[in-house]
Amino acid sequence: MRTRLFIGACYLGLMGLASGLFYTQVFQGERYRNISEKNRIRLIPLEAPRGRVFDSKKNILVTNRPSFDVVAAPEDISPQIFPLLSKLLKIPESELRRRVKSKREYRFAPAMVEEDIPKELAFQIEERRAELPGIMIRVSSMRYYPYGETASHIIGYIGKINEGEYQKLDRERYGMNSVIGRAGLEKIYDGELRGWRGGKQVEVNAKGEMVKVLREKYPEPGKDLTITIDLEFQKRIMQIIKGDHASVAVLDLDSQNLMAMASRPAFDPNAFVQPGRAKDRAHLLKDEEAPLMDRGISSAYPPGSVFKLVTAIAGLETGKITPNTRFVCNGSFRLNSGSRPFHCWNHQGHGSLNLYEALERSCNVYFYNVASRLSPEDIARYARELGLGEKMKLDATNISPGLVPDSAWKTKKIKAKWYQGETLTFGIGQGYLLTTPLQILRLVSIIAKNGQHVEPRFVVEENPERVEDRVEIREENIKVIKRGMLHVVESPYGTGQLARVDFTQLAAKTGTAQAPPNKAHSWMTGFFPYNAPKIAFVVFVEHGGSGGITAARIVKDMLKVWRDMYAPQMV
Amino acid sequence: MLLRWFKQLHWPLIFAMAGLIGIGTVFIHSASHYDTTSYITRQLFWTGVGLAVLLMVPMFGYRTFLSLGPVFYFVVLVMLLWVDIAGAHRLGAQRWIALGPFALQPSEFAKLATVIALANFLGERSPREGQLGTIIIALIIVFIPLAMIVKQPDLGSSLLFMPMIGVLFFLWGIRKRYFIYATAIGGVAAPLLWKFLKPYQKKRILVFLDPNQDPLGAGYTAIQAKIAVGSGGLFGKGYMAGTQSQLQFVPEHHTDFIFCVLGEEWGFFGSLILLVCYAFLFRAMFQIMEATTDIKARLLIAGIAAVTISQLFINIGMTFGIMPITGITLPFVSYGGSSLVASTFAMGLILSVHKERSIF
Repeated sequence: MRTRLFIGACYLGLMGLASGLFYTQVFQGERYRNISEKNRIRLIPLEAPRGRVFDSKKNILVTNRPSFDVVAAPEDISPQIFPLLSKLLKIPESELRRRVKSKREYRFAPAMVEEDIPKELAFQIEERRAELPGIMIRVSSMRYYPYGETASHIIGYIGKINEGEYQKLDRERYGMNSVIGRAGLEKIYDGELRGWRGGKQVEVNAKGEMVKVLREKYPEPGKDLTITIDLEFQKRIMQIIKGDHASVAVLDLDSQNLMAMASRPAFDPNAFVQPGRAKDRAHLLKDEEAPLMDRGISSAYPPGSVFKLVTAIAGLETGKITPNTRFVCNGSFRLNSGSRPFHCWNHQGHGSLNLYEALERSCNVYFYNVASRLSPEDIARYARELGLGEKMKLDATNISPGLVPDSAWKTKKIKAKWYQGETLTFGIGQGYLLTTPLQILRLVSIIAKNGQHVEPRFVVEENPERVEDRVEIREENIKVIKRGMLHVVESPYGTGQLARVDFTQLAAKTGTAQAPPNKAHSWMTGFFPYNAPKIAFVVFVEHGGSGGITAARIVKDMLKVWRDMYAPQMV
Repeated sequence: MLLRWFKQLHWPLIFAMAGLIGIGTVFIHSASHYDTTSYITRQLFWTGVGLAVLLMVPMFGYRTFLSLGPVFYFVVLVMLLWVDIAGAHRLGAQRWIALGPFALQPSEFAKLATVIALANFLGERSPREGQLGTIIIALIIVFIPLAMIVKQPDLGSSLLFMPMIGVLFFLWGIRKRYFIYATAIGGVAAPLLWKFLKPYQKKRILVFLDPNQDPLGAGYTAIQAKIAVGSGGLFGKGYMAGTQSQLQFVPEHHTDFIFCVLGEEWGFFGSLILLVCYAFLFRAMFQIMEATTDIKARLLIAGIAAVTISQLFINIGMTFGIMPITGITLPFVSYGGSSLVASTFAMGLILSVHKERSIF
C-alpha cells in the first residue's frame, strides 16, 4: 500500500514536470523566444557623414574632417585609470567619472569621454593603452568650415541634438549624439545633408562581446549641396566690409542667383562644432553686436531715400505726377500754413526740379509734394507690389518680413489714427517703414528687369518653378525710374557720384536713413550696365552715416573686385 | 553461461539508462564544443568506467554491498572530512577532492552510501518493535554526512537527504504519528535553519521567490535559464543552435544547467523524450522493487528512486522557476564523473537485486 503510494507520487512528479515544461515552452514559448532574441542581438548604429557644401565654382565651403575622440567601455574600466587619464586630458577625475557613467544610446555602447583631442595626444593615449584598460581612441567625422566666417550666415551652424529631440526624431537618422542643423543651410537642408544612419546587427554573448555580424547596413552619406555664391567674390567683399556692421548682396539678374551675400560682424561656425570652444559659443550667443544675425535678411531697417523709388512709381502710376512735373524746393515743406515744417536734407533748397532731378539729388521736398498727393495705401500698395513687407523665399533662417505700414495697420497695432504728416515721412522711407537689405535688392532687381518678378536665391533647385510674371507697374514708368537712377551716379549733381566707375554705366540710388539717437544708416542699391542690366546689388551699413559716402565707397570697391573677377569674361 | 548472464540483466533498465546517457553526451557536446577542455572525451571515459561498475556490481551481489554498508559509510565520511580540510574550492564552495587530473565530488557518493547504510540498518529492524530508538539512530546516520555537506556548502545535495529519509521511513513502516510529528517539526525548524544559511544561499531563495528582485545579480541565472528553456518552444531552435546556452547567457550549461541546452535546442519535444526515458527507468526500478521480497532490497531501491526523482525535480524545476537555483546534477545526463559513476553504481545494485530475485 505504501509502496503503491510512493510509486504513484513519483509518476505524478514526472507528470508535474512535463506539464510545467509544457506551460513554459509551449504556452509561453513565443514570449521567451522574443526575450532571447533581444538578449543576443544588438544594434550598433553607424553615423552617416554629412553632405558637403560647394560654391558655384565647386570649391568646398563645408566639409568633414576626422576627429579623434576618447571613448570608454565602462564595463572594462578599472578605477585606477582615472588619475592618469585626468593628467593626460587635463580634466578633473570627478568629471571623467561622470562622463563614463553618462547615459548611452544602447547597451555596451562606448561612452564619450572627450571629443576632438589633438592628434598627438591621441597617439600618446594609444601608446599607453596597456595602462588604460577600457579607454579607446575612436576616429569620427566632424563638421569643418574651412573658411570660417566667410559665408557663415548662409551656411549657418549645427549643434548636438537634445534629449527631447532625440525622443521625437527618427532613429534611423538621428542618434543620441547626432548633430542637427541649427541655423542657415545646415538647418534648412538638414534632411538632405544628413544621410541615413547605417548599423550593424551583431550577435553578442553574455559578456556583451561581439560573436559575429548578422547583418550590416552601410550608412548612406548625406547629399552634397551646391550654392550659387562665389567663394572668392564673397571673401573679397567680406574683406571690404571688415570692421563694419554691414550687409552686401550681389545678384546675377539673368539667373537670379546670388553671387555674394555678406554680413558683418560674422562668426566662425566651427565654434559650434568643436567641443573645446564652449566659451566662444557663449560669447557669440550673448554678443551685443549680434554676430549670428544676418543683417541682410534677419533685421529690418528704415530704407530712407532708397524708398523714393517707390514713391516715384506710386506717383507716376496713379497719375499724380509725370516725369516732368516740377516742384520747388526751398529747404522745407508745410502741409498747410499752420503745420510744422518738413525739412529737406539740403536746407538751402534745391529750387525747381523735375522727377529725374529730384531722384538724382534725392530731394525730400519733391517727394513730400508727391506723397502729399497720395494716400498711405497708395504708397503701401506699390511697396508691396515690389516685394516689401513680405518674407522672402530664401533658403535662410530668421527671415524678417520687414514692415509696410498703412492706416489700417496703424489703427490695429498702435490704436491711433494715421496723420497726413506720416504719409510724408513714409514717402521718403522713414517712419514705420522697415525693409531688409535683401528686399531692397529684390526691389531694385525688379526695376532693372523692367518690372519682371525676381526671386533671389542661393540654392538652385533641380526643377525650379519659375513664374515669369511681372509686377503691375507700367514699363514706361519703370524706365523713368531707371533713368533717374542713372543720373544719381552719372550726373555732376548726383548723390551717388562716389561710386562712379569707368568700365560700366551704373544706375543706383543712395539712402541715408535717420536712426536717432545714433548715426544714420547708409544705403546704396543699383544695377549695371545701365543699358542691359546684368548685376544688381545692395549695400547697407548700419549707422554708417551718409549713403552717398559710406555705402557708395563700398559699392565702388565691390565694383572693382567684380571687374577684376568677371569683366574679362564679359567682353 | 554468457547467455544466462545476459538473460539475468534487466534490459529495459539498461536501455532507459543508456538513452539518458546518450542524450546527456549529445548535449554535453553541444554545450562544450567550443571549450578547450574536451568534456566529451572525459565523459565518454567516465561512461566506460560507469559501464564497468554497472556490470561488476551484480557479480558481487547487492548483499555484499549492503553488509559492507557501514564501511562505505565510513569511507564517505572520511572523504567528506577530507574535502573540508583539503578540498578544492570551485565557485565559492568546497565540494571537490583533487585526484590527479580528476576532481572527486564526495557528496555524490555520500547520498548513495547513506541510502545503503540506512537500508541495511532499517531492514534489520522490525517496525513492530520500539520504533523510537531505530528512528533516532537512523536520523543520526543521516545527520552526520548531511551536516558535513551543508557545511561545504552544498545546499542542493543536502536537500536530497530529506526526501530520501522520508521515503525510507515511510516504506519501512514508520507510525503515522511519527511521520506527522516529523513533518511538523520540519515545518517549525525551517525558519530556524534560515539563520544558518550563507548570504548567497539566502539570496538564492529570496530570488527564487521573486527573480526580478535582482535581475542582473542573483536572479540573473534563474531568469536566463527560464528564457533558455522557454524560448525552445515546441520543437526547439535546433541542435547546437541555442543562443542562450551557446552565447553563455546560461552558466554551467554542461553540468547543472544541461537541461537548459536540451530545452532550448530541442524544445518541449526533446524535454518530453527525456522525461519518457526517466519514466522508463523508474518503471524498471519499480518492477524490480516489487518483484523482490527482500525488505532491505526494497528499501535500497526506494531510496535510490527517491534521490533520483528529487534530483530530477529540483534540477529541471529550477530551469523554469518552480525550484530555487541549486547546484545539483541531472542524473546520467549532466557532465561529471562522480555523478555518473555513483548513478551507475546505484543501477548496478538494482540490477543485482533483479538477478538475485529468484533466490527466494
